[in-house]
Amino acid sequence: MSKDGIVFDIQRFTIHDGPGLRTELFLKGCPLRCQWCSNPESWKPRIQWGAYPSKCISLEKCGLCTAACPVKGVLNFTDGKLTSIDNSKGVDYSACAEACPSDAIKQWGKSMSVAECMAVIRKDKDYYQRSGGGITVSGGESLMQSDFVAELFEACQAEDIQTCCETTFYTKWRNVEKVLPNTDLWISDLKQMDTKIHRKYTGGGNELILENLRKLADLNQRLILRIPVIPNVNDDPVNIKATADFILNDLHGRVETLQLLSFMRLGVEKYKALNIPYGMEGVHFDRKEFQAHVEQIADYFNQRGIHCLVGTKDKEVEAVKKN
Amino acid sequence: MLSTEKRYHTNAIGIEPFDKSYGLGYQVNHADWSPFPRVNDLRQTFLDRPYDIDVERLRLVTESYQKHQSCSRKLQCAYAFENVLLNTKLYIYDEDLIVGEIAAPAKAAPIYPEFSVNWIIDEIRHSPFEEREHDKFFIRNDKDRQEILDLCQWWKGKTIDDHLQASLDKDQLKGSEVGEKIFQTNLYHYAGVGHLAIDYAKLMKVGYVGLIKEAKEHLAALSKRDPEWASKRDFYLAAIIMHEAARTYIKRYAKLAEKMAQTEPDKKRKTELKQIAANCYQIADGTPKTFWQALQLFNIATTLIQVESNGHSISYGRMDQWLYPYYEADMKKKSLTKKQALELLEVEYVKMNNPTKLKDKGSMAVRNGRGFGGESLTIGGVDREGNDATNDLTMLMLEGSVHTRMMNPWICVRMHEKTPYELKTKVVQCIRAGYGHPKLYNDAPAIKAMMRKGMTLEEARDYCVVGCVELSLPGKEYGWHDAAYVNTAKMMEMVLNGGRSFNTGKQLGPDTGNLAEYKSFDEVLASVDKQFEYWTDQMCSSLNIIDSLHRQLKPLPYVSLFFSDCMDSGKDLTEGGAKYNGIGPQASGTATCADSLSSIKQLVFEDHYCTGAELLKAIKDNWEGHDILYAMVNSSKVHHYGNDDDYADDLFKYMFECYCRHITGRKNLRGGDFRPGVYSVNANVAMGMNTHASADGRKKGEAISDNMGPVHTDAGSHDICGPTALVNSLAKVDHSLATNGTLMNLRFPEDAVAGVQGRDDLLNFIDSYIAKGPMHVQFNIMSSKTMRAAQKHPENYKDMLVRVAGYSAYFVELGKPLQKDLIQRTELHF
Repeated sequence: MSKDGIVFDIQRFTIHDGPGLRTELFLKGCPLRCQWCSNPESWKPRIQWGAYPSKCISLEKCGLCTAACPVKGVLNFTDGKLTSIDNSKGVDYSACAEACPSDAIKQWGKSMSVAECMAVIRKDKDYYQRSGGGITVSGGESLMQSDFVAELFEACQAEDIQTCCETTFYTKWRNVEKVLPNTDLWISDLKQMDTKIHRKYTGGGNELILENLRKLADLNQRLILRIPVIPNVNDDPVNIKATADFILNDLHGRVETLQLLSFMRLGVEKYKALNIPYGMEGVHFDRKEFQAHVEQIADYFNQRGIHCLVGTKDKEVEAVKKN
Repeated sequence: MLSTEKRYHTNAIGIEPFDKSYGLGYQVNHADWSPFPRVNDLRQTFLDRPYDIDVERLRLVTESYQKHQSCSRKLQCAYAFENVLLNTKLYIYDEDLIVGEIAAPAKAAPIYPEFSVNWIIDEIRHSPFEEREHDKFFIRNDKDRQEILDLCQWWKGKTIDDHLQASLDKDQLKGSEVGEKIFQTNLYHYAGVGHLAIDYAKLMKVGYVGLIKEAKEHLAALSKRDPEWASKRDFYLAAIIMHEAARTYIKRYAKLAEKMAQTEPDKKRKTELKQIAANCYQIADGTPKTFWQALQLFNIATTLIQVESNGHSISYGRMDQWLYPYYEADMKKKSLTKKQALELLEVEYVKMNNPTKLKDKGSMAVRNGRGFGGESLTIGGVDREGNDATNDLTMLMLEGSVHTRMMNPWICVRMHEKTPYELKTKVVQCIRAGYGHPKLYNDAPAIKAMMRKGMTLEEARDYCVVGCVELSLPGKEYGWHDAAYVNTAKMMEMVLNGGRSFNTGKQLGPDTGNLAEYKSFDEVLASVDKQFEYWTDQMCSSLNIIDSLHRQLKPLPYVSLFFSDCMDSGKDLTEGGAKYNGIGPQASGTATCADSLSSIKQLVFEDHYCTGAELLKAIKDNWEGHDILYAMVNSSKVHHYGNDDDYADDLFKYMFECYCRHITGRKNLRGGDFRPGVYSVNANVAMGMNTHASADGRKKGEAISDNMGPVHTDAGSHDICGPTALVNSLAKVDHSLATNGTLMNLRFPEDAVAGVQGRDDLLNFIDSYIAKGPMHVQFNIMSSKTMRAAQKHPENYKDMLVRVAGYSAYFVELGKPLQKDLIQRTELHF
């Protein structure tokens, strides 16, 4: 039985989520609400619309979106430019997006069949093969659509395309099991070892996540773990030590790489476009000091025998030089 | 990293590990890239020298022409060349190991009055070279200025330019550089043709003495029954005079080096000067016996081609191949170390930058940069049997390039499916260093293109690159590459507007319909075809006239003798003496046309979003007051080339093939035919300035699309799906149809290729690129941020090279519009 997925973006030629050159599918819908999330458009499992005021050519010169809109007064303009769209009323804005001549209305989410996704994925097959790459599904929470992912991965494996699943693991084990047979690599976060704090910042406890990771480790699956290092949320010595203990004791050290992703103020525009308040608004810190701190955390993990990187790539001797 | 592809390996190695990192992106103000202090000194001295104009060649050539007014043109050329070589000042620079300049001090530009003088007189009087916004040149003093004016005055009416003005009809003139610039034949209208590589392997084997001996034998064997007897006799006589003059000139250098050695206090330098003298004596009277002597002979032979004519892109052939026997022999004898070989190479690399060329402002606009340009040095690839040809020199030549980081030589690496991993890694490390070299050529389509020109498989495999991207067979082909810049966006303007110019409203071409009246998209395509036919008729017939004037007024006996078929036939290159003869004009703005057609097809004929008349009006109004339509044609709702979208890619293919079809197969006067190229180098900027708004969403004056690249307008880049999609689009055309070459620029910011993984990603990307079949690619590893910083503080970025198109240039020396074009080109991220 073929099931469509709700895809909110397909990026060709990504290099950060898994080895080699990859195509990445972002699936819509997530049970968590991490305050630092850079993809708020991925939260709701249904189609949403956002506005890009910098692309809007103004109500006065154009106005095609308001003319096409089935409901009045839901498109918000500031200084004559479309600044946000109210997604709370359940209105279908596809006619507005269709009418906009300047890409100022973005529709997040599109129903796609496995066959449609494969048509895009296949286009870069040559690049995957030469680079050891493949496809990565991400989200949102990819396993909220586990039937779709299972079918997609099966189709990929049938064509010798390697697969990687990026997931929060905040999902029932049976969803993992559906995808498991056709997954070559897993990527997941370890956001915070204290479940109370985890719940405070993400909206959910970590028990399910840790349990799923333990099961996965027992199955000897290839796994990359990540910590989105957020100032004053999870960068304290207690959490860092607990994380290392968990990896070494509960996961038996079966982690290919632990990647530390330093907090970046990303996605602010999208919060605005979606009319959602940005949870990290009040967070201010010295970037240089913070970066040094993250490097120290990496040293700690490496000293404990966990292969740990800052960022997603191995650094060369040379540093990226900024003029 | 796991890869399913088989890797091939080589034992060839330079002085450094194959995977040594040379840093990432441009590094401000470095003066010590090379491990050889001598090379760093020579490089810095070069950078600090001024761009002067030198009057000596003009003086000596004029003097000789005045003295020999009654003899045949070939002999006039020979005597003028001889007069220069016997009398020009000689220059041996501190620390240099190889001698020979282009009859002017290093970095000073000589004048070549044989081609044209009107613009020189005009520009000195009205828009002095010293006051140019970029590409400035300096006449040293008022005395020189007056002398140049006086001498040029004598040439008025005698040059190729003068004869050409009188030969073109009004239909040709209206489209040319003196008219609406639909096609620009500037380069060979005002200067020499160049674009060749001689048979260095043969020169090394027989030397000047061998060539002279062979010419004398042919001369003796000429039959008076041959109706071309006199012409052939003059060819051999002229060539012999010139090659003898070369020998005398080399000996003059030997004597000067000897003299300098006598008074040189430094012992080490004294020995070097003595060796320079010995090298010169050896190559004047015989053949090179060492690697150093081979490089010395190479330098003299090559620079003298640039004394004979100022044609650019005098290229070095497959230098890692023809030079290898000398390297190998010295290494075997242990008379040379790898380090010494590399130092000599690097010294020669720096020297390759010395020749500069004063260009008219029209040519300068389409081709920024003060070097001659186009001195390509080809390495790697397959040999005549199809096996990988990588050797130690291949690796050393790349190391020399990254150690010197200068405009010249233009290193070109031939890639094929079995290119060794070590070579590919070294290539990627050089590219990542962000100085714009090397450019990569793809053997499979290139060899196919050579065979389309009639060559055998073995010959085709021996191709080298001359100039930006043009393919040539060393010692056998006179391809007249880079013959004209064609503004296809202007032709499209004729399609939309009934053959009339938007700028002036004047009727230029035939009225083949207009956008307000076409009933179907097929009618539009039929009109495109007719306009292309008409304008390529005008251009190609103009080029045939220019070609015939070069034959009549500026034969090239010196360089011709390096071509075996000229030697055997007694025919000069300009008379069709080479085995393969071509004329290659290149199309600019292909994607501008493709995206224009896409707007028209989709919005007018399929979606009925607007009428043809409305779109035409919007374009005429430069999109002003048509905001919705302007946003629409620049939006992702309209199909655009470069996104792996067949709808738009098919239209690109149509335009590409349309141009190729109208050029291919036309005959030229040298017994060859016309060959299409699809690249603009940087001419797309100047052409855009002169072009009205277009249907792809360009406003008046913006650059048209560059080379094989996608459209980017002030409203944004039209390629939005990343590099794989772009390359897939690019690979949908058969590049070998463009027998004169295609060109693709890609730009990544530094952090996209950072680290070991970044290196591997780029390498794998290149592997896929080559496998997909485009002919050429070159990279800029430079963020927009860096370029903007250089615009702000040019003084800190003096030696920052950027890959403009086929060539690299110093960013801060480019004109503002071209700088903008480079910044606007899509920054690709993995």
